[in-house]
Amino acid sequence: MRGENRGPWYLLTGLVLGILAGLLYAWLISPVQYTNTAPASLRGDFKDQYRTLIAVAYLSNTDFARAKARLDLLEDPDVVSALSLQAQLARQQGRPESEISALTALALALQGSPIVPTVLPSPSATPTRQLSPTVTPTQVVSLLSTLTPSQAAGSTALQTPTPSLTPLPTRTATPTPGAAFVLQDQALVCTPGTASLIQVEALDAAGQPIPGVEVSVRWEAGEDHFFTGLKLELSPGYADFAIQPDQTYQVRLSDDGELVSGLAAAECETESGERYWGSWKLIFQQP
Amino acid sequence: MRRWIGFLIAIALGAVLGLLYGWVVNPVEYVDTTPDSLRMDFKTDYVLMVAEAYQKEGSLGLAARRLALLGDASPAELIAQASLSAVQLGYSNLDLSIMQKLADDFQTWNPNLEEPAP
Repeated sequence: MRGENRGPWYLLTGLVLGILAGLLYAWLISPVQYTNTAPASLRGDFKDQYRTLIAVAYLSNTDFARAKARLDLLEDPDVVSALSLQAQLARQQGRPESEISALTALALALQGSPIVPTVLPSPSATPTRQLSPTVTPTQVVSLLSTLTPSQAAGSTALQTPTPSLTPLPTRTATPTPGAAFVLQDQALVCTPGTASLIQVEALDAAGQPIPGVEVSVRWEAGEDHFFTGLKLELSPGYADFAIQPDQTYQVRLSDDGELVSGLAAAECETESGERYWGSWKLIFQQP
Repeated sequence: MRRWIGFLIAIALGAVLGLLYGWVVNPVEYVDTTPDSLRMDFKTDYVLMVAEAYQKEGSLGLAARRLALLGDASPAELIAQASLSAVQLGYSNLDLSIMQKLADDFQTWNPNLEEPAP
């Protein structure tokens, strides 16, 4: 009689025990092991490194389709923004210039300006980097054998592939050199609530923005160098630099561009009479 | 007896519900993983990228630091494993030779002579 009075609670107890047993097994006895993951699941900092590696590899092989396919693996919502933002962060963090230019070049390529490999006219001018097209699986297996401890030191078991005499293309991410940049326009830009900047726009002779142009800024206590194209959302030829009100600056594009000096922060005024620091916009163009 | 059978059935049903929840309703999402957990074909492509970047940058130290993200094995071992995988995956001879060039250079690499990372 007592048992009949208990009702169906024993079923609920069994259900709860079953769920607990399942969770115990899943979380403690056999927890999830992360294996066979995809690049999209990488932690943020590893994704950044992966993205940088894609960009540097792209500068090396200039294979846009391959770089694009690799970037797709990261599943960034906005690939161009991710690359541009990372290039800016890399500059702020003092990362090597090669990384910054690689990220910028890849971002530009995604916007329709891919790097075009250029072939040197003379084989005599070809660098010594030579790659063999004759590697076989056997050679790769032999590579493994050279890694055993007994053969490690001084081993020459790995066969060096026969160098090819075919001239290799030389690839570059730098913009096409042209005539020296000349200042076309200088204007004070008044935007309340923003930092005082020197804003530079580099244009070619046809008026098209040029990324990757080095901008040199000098002031009494120091100097800085940076490149156009790191803020693609504004313009591929754009770059800016925050200035201090008590300094005077000189700006030049490339080594042989026109020197613009005497730049100092200038005041702007709102309709209500409130004063703030404005920015200088300099437009340089190749003649 | 019937109670015990019902009790065991309830436990089994609970376990099934737990698995259903864990595998179908709210399955595990892999986030914040590390490169050493990548699938082998992704690792292989990662090593190829390191080799391609090495062609451009020429820094074995940098290549070694990048390869170290794939695990505790030596750079040469990591490249060898990736090369084998690359052969199985049908990589081009050019890609294989780029990886082999990196492996060749690691044979004579002395990490003690490397400058510290930036």
